[in-house]
Amino acid sequence: MKEQILASLKRLHIEEYIINITSYQSAQMFFVKKSLDCKRAENTITYNVNVYRTFDKDGKEMKGNSSVYVYNGMTDAEIDASLSRAYLAASFVCNPAYDPMECTENKFIIMESNLFDHTLEECCEETSKALFAEDNRKDVFINSAEVFAYEINVEIISSTGIDSGYVKRYVSGEFVAQCKEPQDVETYKDFRYNDLDCESLKSKVRKTLEYTLERAKATEAPKAGKYRVIISDSYVNDVFSYYSGRAQAGYIYAGYSTFEVGQNVQALNEEGEFADIKGDKVSMTLVPTEPLSNEGIWQKECELLDNGVLKTYYGGLRFSRYLGIEPTGFFGCVNVAPGTMSVEDMKKQPYLWVVNFSDFQLDDFTGHFGGEIRLAFLYDGEKVTPVTGGSINGSIIDSQTNMHFSKEIQKSADFVGPYAMCFEDVPVAGV
Amino acid sequence: MKVKESEYLKLKKSILKKLLDKLLARYEYASILANDSKSTNYRVSKTGTNISEDGTLSERGFCVKVYDNGKAAEYSFSAIEDDTVDAVFDEITKRLDTLGKTLPEGVTAFSFDGVEDEKLYINESTEYEVDPEEKGDNNIIDLLTRISEKGRAYDEKIIDCSVAFSYQKYSKMFLSRNKDLTQNVMWSCGYIVAMAKDGEEIQNGYKPVSMLGGIEVLDTLESKLEDACKTAIELLSAEQMIPGEYDCICEPDVTGMIVHEAFGHGVEMDMFVKDRAQAQEFIGKQVASELITMHDGACTIPQVATYFFDDEGVLAHDTIIIDKGILKTGICDAQSAMHLGVAGTGNGRRQDTTRKAYTRMTNTIFEAGTSKVEDMIASVKYGFLLCQASSGMEDPKNWGIQLMVDIAREIKDGKLTGKIFSPIVLTGYVPDLLKSISMISDSIEAGGTGYCGKGYKEWVKVSDGGPYIKARIRLG
Repeated sequence: MKEQILASLKRLHIEEYIINITSYQSAQMFFVKKSLDCKRAENTITYNVNVYRTFDKDGKEMKGNSSVYVYNGMTDAEIDASLSRAYLAASFVCNPAYDPMECTENKFIIMESNLFDHTLEECCEETSKALFAEDNRKDVFINSAEVFAYEINVEIISSTGIDSGYVKRYVSGEFVAQCKEPQDVETYKDFRYNDLDCESLKSKVRKTLEYTLERAKATEAPKAGKYRVIISDSYVNDVFSYYSGRAQAGYIYAGYSTFEVGQNVQALNEEGEFADIKGDKVSMTLVPTEPLSNEGIWQKECELLDNGVLKTYYGGLRFSRYLGIEPTGFFGCVNVAPGTMSVEDMKKQPYLWVVNFSDFQLDDFTGHFGGEIRLAFLYDGEKVTPVTGGSINGSIIDSQTNMHFSKEIQKSADFVGPYAMCFEDVPVAGV
Repeated sequence: MKVKESEYLKLKKSILKKLLDKLLARYEYASILANDSKSTNYRVSKTGTNISEDGTLSERGFCVKVYDNGKAAEYSFSAIEDDTVDAVFDEITKRLDTLGKTLPEGVTAFSFDGVEDEKLYINESTEYEVDPEEKGDNNIIDLLTRISEKGRAYDEKIIDCSVAFSYQKYSKMFLSRNKDLTQNVMWSCGYIVAMAKDGEEIQNGYKPVSMLGGIEVLDTLESKLEDACKTAIELLSAEQMIPGEYDCICEPDVTGMIVHEAFGHGVEMDMFVKDRAQAQEFIGKQVASELITMHDGACTIPQVATYFFDDEGVLAHDTIIIDKGILKTGICDAQSAMHLGVAGTGNGRRQDTTRKAYTRMTNTIFEAGTSKVEDMIASVKYGFLLCQASSGMEDPKNWGIQLMVDIAREIKDGKLTGKIFSPIVLTGYVPDLLKSISMISDSIEAGGTGYCGKGYKEWVKVSDGGPYIKARIRLG
């Protein structure tokens, strides 16, 4: 099929293109209580072709592109028709011209992982065993779970000579913990590991089962008001997406973001003025989870913020070219430097520690963050009470000059950084 | 015009039947779902123009489902030719035989008693007026560009106006021992997002359109531009909501989000199988005001989730879930129906042929009532008109509500004051909210520009909506 696509591009005189060939092998298991409800296997492949066309419009050089999928079993005539249509469509896409991604080095990388020591079926089975290993209590148990083991093989070929690729494996999934007494509650968690990391998964399951037990005891929502709010686990990662979102070349080019390199962006308030940072300063690095982007960019770590100061913009080819910066591609993992305060120190003053939201969201345009509280621990200065219900409704722009990060860290496939963080005076809608 | 059947699937049918015969000789049940789907996204904004085929919605693929001594297993693949049938069959049996040989301690494979496979033949198509492919990419981009440029010129505070159109045209074929089903469907949708900026704050006004059909969906999009721009600018001066419980009037899109997120997910019966839905205990009981009648179904209304049969070969239904406040039933995929000993409702849907089928909503609505919207607003002493639903999350186990809307317009003594609050989080207990509904407007609106996930994955196209409703809601 690859040769058919290349021959078609040649026949059609399409001079600039990039082809992404992705094949997927997977083994999947779906559990309901202590039963395997369904198992699945997969062997699929996709061919995506992005064609570019440079042309003049009103005396300006423009470049358009359009992408299509080509499928196994297509005849040469069908491929020609599909690519011709895409090439014609590209002539209606009037973006200022930019240079293509040049080829710097061609190689094929096997991403390091102990998952390659096993078959995909074994990876799926071993992960399932780790997941159920902690499911041995009567008061709280795994209600249901899904486990996936993937091998993804990516090959990228471009008109500029790129002919590279990589193969990676990972295991992922989700599970729901349930506790029936004193009230029937559940907790949802997902996971993803690039190695067969049974101990991390067991620990995650154990912690989730414990929180679910606590949630079963929580009956009341916190009173409405402003709280010193602590969040932990994956919700911490979500907060930092404000900075990575606003530092994207696409946001800068469009004027959605006023972040400037060299500026202390953590100190920017809603009026666009700089305030004093009383809390911890943000230092974060973007880390690629694939060696090669779908535009053929070899990816490497990118230091984004140092003590609140923006070090660089980042992004895909087009907007990076427009801004005159090196294209970096996008990143699947964020590293954030821990703070100086321990979680125990954070808990010395009254707090509302939310350990489980129904869905925590941060909008990087508005800076608003919030979510409904599934389980939180409320410390009023005297005693700790589990609470449930109500919602937090905060703003990172208001909070960022006075937030603290724990010195304890957490590690997952998409985040390495503080385990917990703390905000002052966050509005909470309760009873 | 009727959507045409895929030539590709027609060509593959005899090959797939050969594979099916081999599978039926090996397993007590086997089916094959084949999908030939094309979806293109068009978007114009200040940052540029984009035409791209949608990677999630476009595919040519196949999914085999078998029951092997009662145990369910599936295999997804993307290529088969006349001379590779044996090789594909060997790969299927080898991979499925190997997987699940070793299970976690205490876990066993569930065995089903038998699979219903009634004799059925269907070859149906939905209708459209203008095929986007015939309209031409240039004409689509010209229209979107005109709207986008007009939006950007509306006010100096508008920093961008993104205008988009997308469509999906698909043919699906479902083959089993007794079923030979083909359907050809096309839906289209579009939206305007106007973005306004003041200092570091960015707000947006969002106006969508969607329908079962073709490019004709864009006929009404431009008329929504001014509203989108005004909303974005208004939001820049929005105040923060004082948390509390208020009388609220919900616009149809907010009603739709309540129908879908707050209640609909709770009646997906795969959640009953897992003992994860409180709704199971409320069948036959009052869960809402007697003004409320709720439907879900691929043939409930013609919208983006309309089809003739689901991804497990079960005919589309119009299921009445709540009838005058009483919870009647849930919705169901085929395997969950087998677990529960009930009939499937045609709600077994896959994101694509590489994914498992789950119970999924389709077109989910509340029926209309008799009130006039102006009378509903006039009835509120102090409260809010809730507009522009932005996101929601289900909680079938506890029926907790987490919905977010962008705008709450203040109502005082029956009149809108012009003051707005944002963002707004709706919380509370679903039956409390539904039972508090005291007025319902006399017509419904439904739409579906977004996608529905199962948890955080498995995206399928859905629509939702209903009338304006008046309810008591906790806002934060």
